[in-house]
Amino acid sequence: MSLRRKEKALGWGIVSIYLFYTAIFWGYPFIWMFILAFTKWNFFGKPRFTGFNNFIKLFQDPVFWEVFLNTLRFMLYFLPMVFFGAMLFALALNKMKYFKSFVALSFLVANISSGVAYSIIFQNIFSDIGPINRFLYDHFGVTIPWFSSPSLAMLTIAIMVTWKFVGYYGLILYSGLQAIPKSLYEAAELDGATRWVKFWKITLPLINPAVVTVLILSINLSFGIFTEPYMITGGGPMNKTLTFMMYMYNTAFRRINPSYATALAIVTALINFGIILLVRRTVEKEVSIV
Amino acid sequence: MRKLLVWLVVLALIVSVFGVKKIVFWTAPNPLQEEFWKPLVKQWNEQHPDVQIEWSVIPAAGSSEEAILTAIAAGRGPDISTNIFSGFAAQLAEMGAIVPLDKEFGDDFWEVIKARSMENVIKGWGLDGHYYVLPIYSNPMLFWWRKDLLEEAGFFTPPRTYSQVYKLAEKVTIPKKRYAIKVFAGKNWWDRWFDFITLYYAASEGAPYIKNNKAVFNNEYGKKVANFFYTLFKNGWTAIDLGKDPFEKGTILGGLMGPWHFNYTKEHYPEVYKSIEIAPPPVPDDYPSYKPVYTFADTKGLVLFSTCKYKKEAWEFIKWVFSNPENDARWIEITKMPPARGDITTNPIFKKYVENDPYFAATASYVAYAVPPALITTTIDVQNAMTNYLIEPVVYQKSTPEEALGKAVKEVNKILLSQ
Repeated sequence: MSLRRKEKALGWGIVSIYLFYTAIFWGYPFIWMFILAFTKWNFFGKPRFTGFNNFIKLFQDPVFWEVFLNTLRFMLYFLPMVFFGAMLFALALNKMKYFKSFVALSFLVANISSGVAYSIIFQNIFSDIGPINRFLYDHFGVTIPWFSSPSLAMLTIAIMVTWKFVGYYGLILYSGLQAIPKSLYEAAELDGATRWVKFWKITLPLINPAVVTVLILSINLSFGIFTEPYMITGGGPMNKTLTFMMYMYNTAFRRINPSYATALAIVTALINFGIILLVRRTVEKEVSIV
Repeated sequence: MRKLLVWLVVLALIVSVFGVKKIVFWTAPNPLQEEFWKPLVKQWNEQHPDVQIEWSVIPAAGSSEEAILTAIAAGRGPDISTNIFSGFAAQLAEMGAIVPLDKEFGDDFWEVIKARSMENVIKGWGLDGHYYVLPIYSNPMLFWWRKDLLEEAGFFTPPRTYSQVYKLAEKVTIPKKRYAIKVFAGKNWWDRWFDFITLYYAASEGAPYIKNNKAVFNNEYGKKVANFFYTLFKNGWTAIDLGKDPFEKGTILGGLMGPWHFNYTKEHYPEVYKSIEIAPPPVPDDYPSYKPVYTFADTKGLVLFSTCKYKKEAWEFIKWVFSNPENDARWIEITKMPPARGDITTNPIFKKYVENDPYFAATASYVAYAVPPALITTTIDVQNAMTNYLIEPVVYQKSTPEEALGKAVKEVNKILLSQ
């Protein structure tokens, strides 16, 4: 065998493991997804071709639009909260001299804890007779219907999810801060820049890649919320906390309509992708620290 | 002679390797139910070397339904599965995935029904004139009241009617601290079983809320129940979110519970366990006191899948388990849930449990009056509509009970017709 052929064989040999893996775990589901989206199937028997029926039905489905608005509302609450929180955390961590890893790890605990477990805990904390409402009632005579008010429930879920992700996103921003050379700040100080100016003109522009990463991760997350509403609100009150993931799950496994759920998944992914493209276009900047 | 023996051994080996019929059997992922099935399956397998039951619990997934559906889709589904609720059975039947037992086994099916005194119980399980499910247990949902707290407030029997509940509520409610009763079960679709549907059955002597594929719950009974909800919330006598274990913590004096909760309360709140008083759900004021009160049955059963290769053998196994009342006695002992049979309070085999455990006796006495949910394929959508158009508007006082009922029935009918 010539060297060329040997190398070729070796190359294919190495790549084949990946190709094989991809074919099974990516290719097969991908093809199956298209089959499902354009047919009607009920887990049993053969799928029946229905063309664009699922998609047409989807855009006429009032619940779909409700879920879409819910997701937008979740992002409206979650993105500023988590970004602001993570930024504060990163800046504080950057200033700290001691116990840095300890603090960072403490915040990460929230991120790795079980969704089911903390959902139960938050449910108790925020319940009508939970510690927060007891305190408010005893001292101010009011209570906040955290999960039971249609307009508040999504905000409460956003608070929970923020709690979970502040540490993780904070670390991403922190690593961005670490990469900024100190000399830039020193030069700015010589020119008489205030803290505020330094933050706006140096810090924020230079951590742009980290900011974009955090934004994209949190947008993706907004489209994937499941455990918290599933455990606590069941999508209510008045469908106001129903998310795409819950709607898909219920449609596939409770309404026994996996085809419609697949069409829903495809459209959700496209919306998700579209928003990410938009954010990258508007926020992302080329950054090079020389 | 020796040659013959060798041949016989070889033949036996071939039979044992190729002739064994395997039946895949799934049961609820619940430790108590596992404890019940384990020795039974072992015993059967020892007695029937040619028909082996491959038993396992329903694989871990978001829900039993998810696990079973994905297994069917993958062609690796069970032959028999327990833990099937009526709505899921209706869906499976519509798909053609399960077998109508009465059609497949004829008199043999009715023999089992008779042997287990299920003539009355099975009535609630008819679907298109056939029976696809063999109900295993039936949990009548009943109200638990805190005897200690009731007595403290000067009440020596639990309230029977709505007015009596109001009277109690006026006396014991402390805003944000203590309420008379829990009526709103939660925001999930299945929660409607445990509030509106239960109270509707109680008010109407177990009348159906969906009849001939049409919603009928905007009748006088539905109106009374909806008004009960409305009044309780309007006066602040109950709340939406009561936290975990409100009954045990004394946040409420009474609430709807299932028998599966006994073990939990006994273990975690032994003092509270001693002062439970069991009563049927409250009824409208004009409900005659001499009539029994009906309630909702949280009930699950087993189904036989149409993909099963050895249906006759599978049925033999089912028959073997459920024709023997001793097995139901063991079931009671382990799970504390009443088997779906009509003779628990009269059959001497169960006497021991009825006499020794007053809570079980109270529960068992309602099995005959416990009605399963409507057998429809759209349970989740129907009950979501009930939540969105009936319960939530009433609970949040956004519309009158009558308006909400009208709207909910209209929406539910839309869903039923779209099928």
